[in-house]
Amino acid sequence: MGQNMTWEEMKKMFPNEWLLVVDYELDALGDIKTGTVLRHSKSKDVVYALPAVNQDTAFRYTGESTFAGLRSHATHDHTF
Amino acid sequence: MPPMITPFDPKRHHIHIRFFVTDPRGRHHALDGVLDTGAPRTEFSDKFLAFAGFIREPAKNIAIKPGLQTQKYGKLLIPILEICGHAISDFEIFASRFDESWGVDALIGLDFFKKFRVTIDTQAGQIRTEPF
Repeated sequence: MGQNMTWEEMKKMFPNEWLLVVDYELDALGDIKTGTVLRHSKSKDVVYALPAVNQDTAFRYTGESTFAGLRSHATHDHTF
Repeated sequence: MPPMITPFDPKRHHIHIRFFVTDPRGRHHALDGVLDTGAPRTEFSDKFLAFAGFIREPAKNIAIKPGLQTQKYGKLLIPILEICGHAISDFEIFASRFDESWGVDALIGLDFFKKFRVTIDTQAGQIRTEPF
């Protein structure tokens, strides 16, 4: 288990990475004030890998989003 | 229900919304999404959906087409979802493969906002949502 740290510390320690944070505290914006980083990686697959964590979690990306609106409105037929 | 005021950071390039999902085991997940009024339907990252137990695993045969950053591929119901302070039951969303560099787990589409009278104040960085 990692140590409890602030969001600023997380961003500095894990730049441009996905984080799985537990034991977190959120501010009024819903941003993480403090928490414990349980998983971190530049790969989303690593952070979201199963087995899942058996407690409440927060997922965040420490980099800037590259979202440019280039989304598809077509759908694949898929049954879960 | 009174109007809810949801703050957001107006300095960011997009309107990021923090939202919450309760998974089938009762665990709560705090997530980051982008308000996308150009998307008719709300989409969730399939990798989160698999982690939370809503789907068995992300589909293996889904690829993002060149020039795009997402591919949605299947519908499912999220039993308990909280966005902008409003709890919503059985909200239908699309599972979607997102470009990882998006850094978010959902596009919050028009289907959510059509449930409310919505006012976005980009100067104050506030979204006001009120049920009709």
